[in-house]
Amino acid sequence: MPKVTIDGVEMEVAAGTTVLQAALSRGREVPHYCYHPGLSIAGNCRMCLVEVEKAPKLMISCQTQVADGMVVHTQSEKVQEAQSSVMEFLLINHPLDCPICDQAGECRLQEYAVEHGTGVSRHDVPKVIQSKAVDIGRHITLDQERCIQCSRCIRFCDEVTGTGELDFFQRGDRTKIGLYPGKRLDNAYSGNVADICPVGALTVKEFRFSTRVWYLKNTPTVCAGCSKGCNVMVAVGRKQELMTSPGQMDDGIKRVVPRVNEEVNGHWICDEGRLSYIGLEAAERLQSAQDSNGGELDWDAAVEAAGAKIREAAEAGALGLIASPRATNETLFAASRLVKAVGGATVGVQKIHRGEDDKLLIRADKGANSKGAGEILGATDAVDVLAAAASGKLKTLVVFGDLLNPDDTIDLGDAASNVENIIYVGPFVDAASAAAALRLPTASWAEEDGTMVNCDGRIQSVGRCHRSRGEGRPGWLVAQELLAAAGGESPEWAEGSEVYEEMANELETFRGTSSAGIGLLGIATGTPAAAGA
Amino acid sequence: MEKILTRNIHKENSQSIDVYEASGGYQALRKAVTQMTPVEVIDEVKKSGLRGRGGAGFPTGLKWSFMPPKGDKPHYLLCNADESEPGTFKDRLLMEKDPHLVLEGCMASAYAMHADACYIYIRGEFVLGAEVLERAVEEAYAKGYAGKNVCGSGWNCDLVIHRGAGAYICGEETALMSSLEGGRGNPRVKPPFPAQSGAWGAPTTINNVETLACVPFILERGADWFKSIGPNEKNTGPKLYCLSGHVKRPGVYEAPMGLPLKELIYDLGGGMLHDDRPLKACIPGGSSVPVLRAEECDTNLDFDSLAALKTGLGSAGIMVMDSSTCMVKSLLRISHFYAHESCGQCTPCREGCGWMERILQRIEDGGGLQQDIDLLKNIADNIEGRTICALGDAAAWPVQSFVTKFRDEFQAHVDAGRCTVQGVA
Repeated sequence: MPKVTIDGVEMEVAAGTTVLQAALSRGREVPHYCYHPGLSIAGNCRMCLVEVEKAPKLMISCQTQVADGMVVHTQSEKVQEAQSSVMEFLLINHPLDCPICDQAGECRLQEYAVEHGTGVSRHDVPKVIQSKAVDIGRHITLDQERCIQCSRCIRFCDEVTGTGELDFFQRGDRTKIGLYPGKRLDNAYSGNVADICPVGALTVKEFRFSTRVWYLKNTPTVCAGCSKGCNVMVAVGRKQELMTSPGQMDDGIKRVVPRVNEEVNGHWICDEGRLSYIGLEAAERLQSAQDSNGGELDWDAAVEAAGAKIREAAEAGALGLIASPRATNETLFAASRLVKAVGGATVGVQKIHRGEDDKLLIRADKGANSKGAGEILGATDAVDVLAAAASGKLKTLVVFGDLLNPDDTIDLGDAASNVENIIYVGPFVDAASAAAALRLPTASWAEEDGTMVNCDGRIQSVGRCHRSRGEGRPGWLVAQELLAAAGGESPEWAEGSEVYEEMANELETFRGTSSAGIGLLGIATGTPAAAGA
Repeated sequence: MEKILTRNIHKENSQSIDVYEASGGYQALRKAVTQMTPVEVIDEVKKSGLRGRGGAGFPTGLKWSFMPPKGDKPHYLLCNADESEPGTFKDRLLMEKDPHLVLEGCMASAYAMHADACYIYIRGEFVLGAEVLERAVEEAYAKGYAGKNVCGSGWNCDLVIHRGAGAYICGEETALMSSLEGGRGNPRVKPPFPAQSGAWGAPTTINNVETLACVPFILERGADWFKSIGPNEKNTGPKLYCLSGHVKRPGVYEAPMGLPLKELIYDLGGGMLHDDRPLKACIPGGSSVPVLRAEECDTNLDFDSLAALKTGLGSAGIMVMDSSTCMVKSLLRISHFYAHESCGQCTPCREGCGWMERILQRIEDGGGLQQDIDLLKNIADNIEGRTICALGDAAAWPVQSFVTKFRDEFQAHVDAGRCTVQGVA
């Protein structure tokens, strides 16, 4: 492996590594705009110029591959001068409208201007005027003046989605990003162009002007939109006017952006997953335990009543339970314990299928934890449970509702009128909860900690990004309370991790793993780590 | 000197293959493909000392030797006929008047590189040239000088005319490849160099029209003959000079490499346009190279003599300026050109060229500020050497040289708020 010296630090890196990658891997920041690890190298921003000894000119570190014995300076006087001049060039025609720009606070142009800029402008001739707020797609707005022509968005559409909607038009300092005639940036992954835009040129309409980024609280989790389980960062808003008071007001999820995981989603997520929070935020939530008319019930009394119905039905061999494929492993395992404690039930897992798998990330199986549900509760389809219910074989049916979208909660159909008691456990006021005699609220997606298994068998952590609504609590806790109320021996789990621990002892798939060991990037089932090596 | 490259241009029907063959045309190609190996062709060109006529002056034979051995991928030769450097019009003459010389040069060179096809990328504005070349290509195919089994040698190579769409940058070799492939004409970051991965990712060599036109003569008369023309081993062969500006007889002149600049202006060119307006400045190699003051013009027009003066032979576009020339206005015109033609992909050139133009416009309009001259120089310094392709340098060099060598005139323009050159048009 070639040895290279970067700023006096000798390092050995794999052949083919670029100087920029080598520097970044050792924690040395070399400023860059056009380089993106998920895209081809363009080399056009000129921000990453470094001095390579014996080279006649400064070299772009994003493209220059290390060679044995190479000596690189990333902070020499020549380099700093170049960085400062490139910053100046980037800013002369930039509108400097940070106060009204969504990118402010997470803008590379701001960051590097502070770090490498001169702080004053020598540009006192008119700026180039370009178009603002150009509507280029369902979810994306373009500001051509803010654009620094790094071409990341063009490369994304060419290389990742292969849809090729964007390119440069015009030349020189009139150069602008634009759509090819007759095209719109409406591919299924369009939101990513806003994420990779290093400035405020491309913004997601749904997030635009909704908050300043420094008011956001970011929590790593996993998207529940489909079985791929893309790693995401969920940003919850904190109300601006309350920032000075102790404690912060929860203003709901403001955006969802991809979190890099090369084993799952790389750098990207689909638009559907990105925007799934909107439906969640807009949905009517079940705030408290309710009776069949929506009347508020005391929590404990409601759980007692539900427990009694469950025991009764189970004793008669007429208990049914439908689990959601978006529930966490913990909830599913607790549900399986409930079934076991009362002596069995007809159990099925809902299937949510829409569209087709695509070549990138979108999966037709919308159950984020379909695989985990299958491992824990078996492969029976919930429609079989509904069929049993519709034919009058079941007395009580426990329905776990969807955790992301009320429309995805299972349609009970004829079963609703042929079952004595429906007990709904879920976060929404939806069709299933309306049919239920007892309704127990749970946390939705992004409101509870837990784990899921994606379509490739990877165990991943989902995170609690903000508090749950009303009396809603994690599904596993509700299942545990129902178990106790039904007369079973309660396991008395206090944390989701304890549920996981027990599950890992019991089920082969999870053996040797712990919820803490899953980490931010998950672990593949069947790997040495998962096998407890 | 005997006319070499321009020997046919004044003949009647000089574009026809019959006239070309009658002057001994296509014998060099026939000799190459039937009696020489590709390596022998490369060696002969190497020995001749031929350097590229497009601007950079890179040794042609050496460039050819960078091509890898023939593998699975096709090899391409691209003939750069996108002649767009202001002040340059020599390739146009060859293409319009002696197209078969260009084609023979292309085919003989393509043979040396095992090319499967040769594309002639011709500037979009050269409508006549493209039409003449198209006809010539048809004739060459009909006579077996291109296409299948060239001259009965068993070697196949297609010859294709591709018209550009009118962008200066497409004369940059990697932008030319992007454009040829159907993409936006943006230069590419090197490496990979064209010989490794060029057009459509295949090994590719790009040569200027005049460069390729020299090849048949080298093969026919030998490298030693070629080398005997010109001042020294590193500056050899016949050369076309494009003379323009304030001279009595502007035009293309063929003379040996190393022609004295003054001989071109005062002898071949008939002297200064107005007898009462002496020489003030001269740009010796197309608008991108640094300007020479009158007192620097006692030099020879070859690569190394001009490099010694920190300018270059470039594309041999010699632009002569007399005492009535306003250097501010001249530089503004040049800077406008590069700001207009910058492809816009890399930051210093995209932003800097327009900035320089706007400052120059302000000085020209009488609103120049005292700091503008230093600012111009500094912007140019910040562009030079920091861009993907040479357009950044091409935009920076004129600014650096004009404001340095004619600083007094820029200062006077700023101070007076108007042009102070006597007799300015």
